[in-house]
Amino acid sequence: MKPLLHLRGVEARYGHFVALQNVSLIVPEGAVVALLGPNGAGKTTLLRTVSGMMSLSRGEIIFDGAPIQRLPDYAIARRGLAHIPEGRGIFPSLTVRENLLMAGYGAPNGDGALGRVYELFPVLAQRREQAAGTLSGGEQQMLSLARGVITRPKLLAVDELSLGLAPILVAQLFDTVARIRDSGTSILLVEQYVRHALRLADIVVILHKGRVAFIGEPGELAHDDSLVESYLGGKSSARFGVASEDAVALPMKATASSQRSKKRRVSRG
Amino acid sequence: MQAFLNTVLVGLVTGSVYALASTGIVLTYKTSGILNFGYGALALFTTFVYWSLTITFHWPVWLAAALVVLIVAPAIGFLLDGTLFRKIQGQPIVIGVIATVGLTVLIQGIVILIWGGQTRGDVPSLFPRAPIRLPGGLHIGVDQAALFGLAVVLALGLSAMFRYARIGVAFRAVVDNRPVAGLMAINTRYVSGLAWAIATAFAAVTGILLTPRLLLDPVLLTPFIIAQVLGAAIVGYLRSLPLAWAGGLFLGVSQALLLKYAGSGSGIGDLRSAMPFLMITVLVLLAPKTLRVAGLGSSFIVKTREVTGHASPQTRAVIGAAFFGLLALGPAIARGSISWRLSLTVGMAYAIVFLSLVILTGYSGQVSLGHTAFMGIAAFTTGHLVADQHLNVWLALVFGALAAVPAGALIGIIAVRVHGLFLALMTLAFAFMAQDMFFKQPSVSGSNGGIPVPRPPGTASTNAFFYLVLAVLLVCCLIAINLRTGPTGRVLAALRDSEMASRSLGINVVKYKVVIFSISALIAGLGGVLASMVTEQATSLSFIPFLSLAYLTVTVVGGVFHVGGALAAGMLWGLYPKLFGHIDIMIRLENIFFGLGATLALARNPEGLFGEFRWIGAQLRSLRDREPRRVAAPLPVAGGQE
Amino acid sequence: MSELRAESVTVRFGGLTALSDVSIDVPSGGFVGLIGPNGAGKTTLFNVISGFILPWRGRITFDGQDVTRASASKRAAMRIGRTFQKLELFGRMTVLENMLVAAEAGAKRLGLMTDLLHLPGRHRAERRSAGIAEQVIADLNLGWARDRRTADLPVGSARIVELGRALCTNPALLLLDEPSSGLDSGETEGFGALLRRINEERGVGILLVEHDMDLVMDVCKKIHVLDFGRVIATGTTKEIAANAAVRAAYLGEEADEAPASPARR
Ligand SMILES: Nc1ncnc2c1ncn2[C@@H]1O[C@H](COP(=O)(O)OP(=O)(O)OP(=O)(O)O)[C@@H](O)[C@H]1O
Ligand SMILES: Nc1ncnc2c1ncn2[C@@H]1O[C@H](COP(=O)(O)OP(=O)(O)OP(=O)(O)O)[C@@H](O)[C@H]1O
Ligand SMILES: [Mg+2]
Ligand SMILES: [Mg+2]
Repeated sequence: MKPLLHLRGVEARYGHFVALQNVSLIVPEGAVVALLGPNGAGKTTLLRTVSGMMSLSRGEIIFDGAPIQRLPDYAIARRGLAHIPEGRGIFPSLTVRENLLMAGYGAPNGDGALGRVYELFPVLAQRREQAAGTLSGGEQQMLSLARGVITRPKLLAVDELSLGLAPILVAQLFDTVARIRDSGTSILLVEQYVRHALRLADIVVILHKGRVAFIGEPGELAHDDSLVESYLGGKSSARFGVASEDAVALPMKATASSQRSKKRRVSRG
Repeated sequence: MQAFLNTVLVGLVTGSVYALASTGIVLTYKTSGILNFGYGALALFTTFVYWSLTITFHWPVWLAAALVVLIVAPAIGFLLDGTLFRKIQGQPIVIGVIATVGLTVLIQGIVILIWGGQTRGDVPSLFPRAPIRLPGGLHIGVDQAALFGLAVVLALGLSAMFRYARIGVAFRAVVDNRPVAGLMAINTRYVSGLAWAIATAFAAVTGILLTPRLLLDPVLLTPFIIAQVLGAAIVGYLRSLPLAWAGGLFLGVSQALLLKYAGSGSGIGDLRSAMPFLMITVLVLLAPKTLRVAGLGSSFIVKTREVTGHASPQTRAVIGAAFFGLLALGPAIARGSISWRLSLTVGMAYAIVFLSLVILTGYSGQVSLGHTAFMGIAAFTTGHLVADQHLNVWLALVFGALAAVPAGALIGIIAVRVHGLFLALMTLAFAFMAQDMFFKQPSVSGSNGGIPVPRPPGTASTNAFFYLVLAVLLVCCLIAINLRTGPTGRVLAALRDSEMASRSLGINVVKYKVVIFSISALIAGLGGVLASMVTEQATSLSFIPFLSLAYLTVTVVGGVFHVGGALAAGMLWGLYPKLFGHIDIMIRLENIFFGLGATLALARNPEGLFGEFRWIGAQLRSLRDREPRRVAAPLPVAGGQE
Repeated sequence: MSELRAESVTVRFGGLTALSDVSIDVPSGGFVGLIGPNGAGKTTLFNVISGFILPWRGRITFDGQDVTRASASKRAAMRIGRTFQKLELFGRMTVLENMLVAAEAGAKRLGLMTDLLHLPGRHRAERRSAGIAEQVIADLNLGWARDRRTADLPVGSARIVELGRALCTNPALLLLDEPSSGLDSGETEGFGALLRRINEERGVGILLVEHDMDLVMDVCKKIHVLDFGRVIATGTTKEIAANAAVRAAYLGEEADEAPASPARR
């Protein structure tokens, strides 16, 4: 597969604190790359450097065949890279409709696109004229996501997709992401719900303390308990992969126990 | 009846000028999130360019106007955005206020440097002044009709743009959340530059249309425009263009009626100039909650350069002691020069005033543009207690300063309801009303414009008075330090960061706001009385409201976050004329110097002059510790996050 | 003792009814979950309980007293503490200072004069609140972040700081709004145990809003479910997990059984 996004030896700093160190990775065209790692690993920082929110101190980023590390954020966005930032990057005093209008500024997005988004997130249609700042936490997250999707980008970089969303919606959203991928958009996904992410991912990248600790297929990860244990949290590997048996045996408990695995466990699903 | 209608018509015409101008300021506010106090100054500068082109170089009026409005003004706007406004966007409201006030000072300085201080009455009008006759024996000038029409068209057109055009929404998006706007493929530099270009063009239009009827006065025009414009703009709560426009008309008509029917006698005649501020007060107090507390611009400070880490308490104590020790030696060092000693005294008295602003703005994040009111209340009270009640001057000094406390408490109570920019405007209005309705009254400031404020017994000599002020300053500094380091200071800092969280912890917001404003008013009052005692009189001119803005500006130049900043600001204020008095150009550049200090320095370093000292200190420490220096880079902030 | 009751609470925003006739209760020292889809009104209910929104109708009682119209700070003084879904830390203050503010707010008022003039009382009061703050910092393992500005912390740690800050006021009831969102797998691991410890050792009643069903099912003894501003179910964790209406509105059908993403495996 042709690489759509290629990071080579990227280093990024906050002042003297080195948040990313010699990070290299590739997002092939049409693939889903899951970017995992504990808090403070540098996932958000990586997305920020890719989308031009932050400049890198070393290294190179190639998107769609051209280096973009010197381009300003809006120019990168216009090349078809949509970054959905962490923590609800919405315009609080603009209405929902106006927020959507701002998506992909400069590119035409007719009523068709708006209709699609409302179909995907019916709540947003109901809240159309409400100031985005007064939306509930989850509604803001949906809005943020909707803005990324509406432009049909080449690469969608999502930071903590499922943050603050109800379980039912999380499941739906991952379906949506799969559909977006099927329509030709590549996806760089930062996610704490490891199991969901692994189910969808073609490639997994684990960051740890600003360095790449693992790159490979989800399958490889499933067989390497020590990796999972050391980077994705505590005892998760101990109960690794038992979720589906529970689910069959005890339908009622399955809800609870398989939900349990969504954050802690890594499963092939 | 006809007389009444004619008065209304006259009012409407004046009002449409206000309307036009206020549309401009609302435009800037909506597109940049900054309430541009420099709007009047920008109008002044561009109009002077227009005046030069037409009068000095004999250009045709339309060509000159086109050049100024379409090229000169937008270029200035772009430049200002790039060098200043872009860097302070999203910072606390006070920073925007100070930057634009600094801009005013700067531009006025430049105008006076280039064109001198004279008033020009010969600005050519774009439209003929020929009268148009209306039915009923009324008539207005063509220029006035054009003005009226233009104001209507621009208000409606612009508000349509904001509502329906993508660029209009983009302006607001950039104000709302700049980092995310970039991600949405919005070229934020271009958009905010364009916003300032348009706004400056608007200021130019306002000036060019206004001055043929008014006078082009380098000093008086700016505050006049600002006062009227704020009164009008507040009707739409700084957001609605049509309402701002209507507010302008209302203001014009009501002023005309007041002039005609209430006469210009004492008291109520001053109501006319107080009118915009009455409107601000009433409307802000009546504002719906969402508006009162919203106010654009988050409270999240992104310091452009911040020195982390502090010198050890011992080091700071030593530096403080050294500073005061040196000050105490001042009279001995400047034994030969009374004026040096006086200047030092003035500097210290004002350092007390600036300290009150450090406490209020630096520690607790509240903005007051009305501190002259507290100073005036205290000074006049002291004067009258001595003159009328024959009170001991020491007691009068104390009671005078205490008299400012209820006023401070009142503003504190208002601050519970009203936040941010609207609060700042309220305090400015408060200062104006205090000036127009009280300080100017002969019963307050005496029949020849001033009343005596004698020095306390035993401190009549220059030296004794010097040490009195020094002692008061020292005590105030110690109190401020105690305040900052103790529980109360922590609560104030907490309120500054998140009022909601503070309330959820059980912090009584009302109490603390009242307390902080009262303390600040008390200290400002003390400073005001002492400053008056230097010259031994208080005049109504000592407390003109715009000085409040100057004080805040100077405090920021000195460093608004630290006690040391107030001291630096006081020394700057007191000693500048002494240090540079013999260099003509430096005196003429004083405004420019302070203006630049407040604007450009602010964009680079919000901690002011004292921040530079801290920076040097940090360098020294890191040399000593052989560590890389601890200066945090700008934090990229995904807006809306915290 | 410190039982919380919300009775028939109704809240409207313009035309939207965010809560209609909602009644819930948290027994003294209880551990109750509040779940529901996005926009169901959970945060709104929190705001009503903690005094940030005045309900259009309905009553809040705490500790047997009607507090419907009491101010937020009054309620905090009655020992209702809370955290926020959108973090509300004092960003420019350090972790320790955040805790100190809370500890001091919960303590007896320190006279202003004592504070400004640095009289002996101030030292005593400061030592006391420093004790509380340091204790909480140690309890929550935040020692490493003690002198860091909270704005620079990773989200997960910031959430824990906010929880700690609420604890410093010595609450009898804690309202937690999605306290584990943004925590990583490792942090989530110990989080349930931490909450349980707070509940059991300190006897603090907890009302927990969470979308992490694992956590909720793990720690809560009783659960209220909101949907479209109404309570659609109340019961033990088992009852809720089995409730068809809840599954349809909130949990969704189990993702494990059906292949959720058509394109993969
Ligand atoms: N604005 C900032 N200023 C200083 N340091 C920062 C800033 N933002 C992040 N950091 C630091 O950089 C490191 C990487 O942070 P980043 O936000 O990229 O992590 P993350 O993997 O996204 O974590 P999380 O799961 O919490 O979102 C962390 O140690 C964090 O403390
Ligand atoms: N100030 C407001 N004006 C108008 N609507 C509002 C306002 N505040 C909240 N709402 C609406 O009320 C509903 C309930 O919001 P609330 O924040 O309570 O939801 P929630 O249950 O906490 O959801 P989430 O899990 O997504 O945080 C939402 O649909 C929201 O859009
Ligand atoms: Mg992150
Ligand atoms: Mg919520």
